[in-house]
Amino acid sequence: MLLARRNLLQDTMRLALSITGVALAVMLILLLQGFLDGMYRQIAAYLEHTPGTVVVAQEDVTNLLGATSLLPPGTAAAARSRGGTVAPILSQFVILDLHDKKQPVYPVGYDPASGGGPWRLAAGHAPQNNYQVVFDRILAQRHGMALGDTVEMMDRTFTIVGLSEETTSWMTSFIFIRKTAAEALWRIPGGTSFLLVTPPARMTPQMLRDRLTDLPGADALLKGDMIANDARLFARFFSAPLQLMIAIAFLVGTLIVGMVIYNATVERQREYGVLKAIGAHNGVLYRTVVAQALVVASVGTLVGIGVAAGIAQLIMALRPQFLIVLEGAAVAWALLAGMVMALLAALVPVRAIAGLAPAEIFRR
Amino acid sequence: MLRIALRNLFQNKVRLVIAVGGVALALMLILALDAVVGGMETKLTAYIDYSGADIFVAQSGVRNMHMAASALPLSVKSQVRAVPGVATVTPVLYLTNVVVSGENRHLAYVIGLPPNAAAGAPWRIVAGKALPGPREVIIDRGVAEQSGVRLGDTVEILGADFTVAGLSEGTANLTNSVAFIVRADFARLRGEAATASYVLVTVAPGESPDVVARRIEALVHDVTAQTRREFGAQERKVINDMSTDVITIMNMVGVLIGMAVMALTVYTATLARRAEYGVLKALGARNRQLCGVVLAQALISISIGFLLGVGSTLALAAIVPHTGLNLFLQLRSTVLLKVGAAAITITAVSAILPIMQIAGLDPAMVFRGKTK
Repeated sequence: MLLARRNLLQDTMRLALSITGVALAVMLILLLQGFLDGMYRQIAAYLEHTPGTVVVAQEDVTNLLGATSLLPPGTAAAARSRGGTVAPILSQFVILDLHDKKQPVYPVGYDPASGGGPWRLAAGHAPQNNYQVVFDRILAQRHGMALGDTVEMMDRTFTIVGLSEETTSWMTSFIFIRKTAAEALWRIPGGTSFLLVTPPARMTPQMLRDRLTDLPGADALLKGDMIANDARLFARFFSAPLQLMIAIAFLVGTLIVGMVIYNATVERQREYGVLKAIGAHNGVLYRTVVAQALVVASVGTLVGIGVAAGIAQLIMALRPQFLIVLEGAAVAWALLAGMVMALLAALVPVRAIAGLAPAEIFRR
Repeated sequence: MLRIALRNLFQNKVRLVIAVGGVALALMLILALDAVVGGMETKLTAYIDYSGADIFVAQSGVRNMHMAASALPLSVKSQVRAVPGVATVTPVLYLTNVVVSGENRHLAYVIGLPPNAAAGAPWRIVAGKALPGPREVIIDRGVAEQSGVRLGDTVEILGADFTVAGLSEGTANLTNSVAFIVRADFARLRGEAATASYVLVTVAPGESPDVVARRIEALVHDVTAQTRREFGAQERKVINDMSTDVITIMNMVGVLIGMAVMALTVYTATLARRAEYGVLKALGARNRQLCGVVLAQALISISIGFLLGVGSTLALAAIVPHTGLNLFLQLRSTVLLKVGAAAITITAVSAILPIMQIAGLDPAMVFRGKTK
């Protein structure tokens, strides 16, 4: 262990660079995962904050944000007749052109009497007619928009009368209009996309869902299931590129640790040879190399976790549409990744030691 | 000096491999992410690019298809047809829905086509019919394979059963595919008999799509008419605008990692040869010359890393489509410039430490055996 420490501390600049390299790789892994976890939270925000525990959607539509849902006429009345309190909404994606930028938003047309609108207003009030909109506060801020400003949505102009909180994400933001405004916007008079249904007292959400399963042309899902389906859908889009990035970051980290330990080992090859010559087993030398790798990877990983937390705060301050959540599980994975990097990185130097003939050093 | 730089680099193969590999991977971070976005942009516009339409007419203010909705009164079809320069008009219905087969669900743009559609139909059929009939659907071959569906099997779309009559190719991306049914089925299931989502227009020979599109907007009320090129550009802009911030952040991380790897490599390589540099200094070599060696080392490593990074990304782009992921990577020429600039920055920054090392090297130390 003493030898390992001496080898590492022999050149502090090299040690610092290697720790920086590992920290950057770990930081990248954590940021990518935190970015994904934050996105899941953001896309679940609407369902988590609106009334109801069961969602009724068009048959075969199992998520809020993936497919367009349009319920057959009479579905709301049928759901009410089965005991639920119903909040109908009409919603789907729209692309806004804001300051020459394409901005996808998810307008929710809701009926103020039933609910389904914004749950926390930072300023202003709910829409009171078909030409008013509650805009996401962060989206408005990003585009320098304020209460009283107008926004073009498809062929209509809406005035911003309220600014909502907790409704943003980097991909899209939730905005709110009256349901009748949404019907006019999408030319679907009386149309409803989803029903947010609340069970009466003494009825569990599961019981209500089971009662609603036979609605013609519709499917009933627990809100939690629908949130999970949305997360799965987005995971499908992002998992492949994300895994690719994480794999690259992991390899880079491994190479950095590998290079440092390899250099430290090669430089001290003679000393290792002497140790071998006086009877040290390969196992002792391997442990020295692995210990060095573990120390570099551990310190690098811990620094990486700290830096990731700092950078995440910085990114969220500069770009508030991003939510980066560093979950305990992701941190544990990063620690594990750091240890695996260390072990893989120790392979090459270990081979260099294994092939070392003790007699060689005496011939030099 | 170049010879010394080359010798320094190639003397220790393991170190060279690690250095070049690290730089290649760091640059690959930037390249691969951009290639993913590039691929998404290309695939996203596949339907538009291969629709055969010269102009897309949509509800006023609607300039996109992906994540968008458009509803036009069907009367627009005859109004557009009457515009000089228009050869054919094809009103299609469109929405994003699900193709269901057993437990398999695939998001799809569902396109409702009129009989004998002049545009907007599947462009490459690998099996079955080229156009769907009533209660029939043409789905993407990849989706069919993933769902275990064959010609003649039944899938569910918009809550109704459809027989798979054809399999198309090139109609899927990372997020969804395209499914083609007849307009009448679409309208019946959605109650949209009197509307069209988009009207696809072909222009008469010799007519300019740009001119005809402007003419349509002037003569038909409450519509937005865009040429295929404009419409495709608007679609690509959605992906581009959404991903700009993410790409910027990732690029910065990629550059930082590249700098750390490169700085470490050049630093350790210089450190290992400190004694030789001392001898060279003692023999009269100037600091400038020795710094040139360090810079040359960094530049050669970066160049090899750059080529390897580009090569690996190209290899990845060739392999990924065969992995069953609907992921398509496209390396764009603009990113090569960006990565080139990043590589030069990495080289310059990574050489600073070793240069400082050499500048502070006292030749006399070599002879006292104190080079470390």
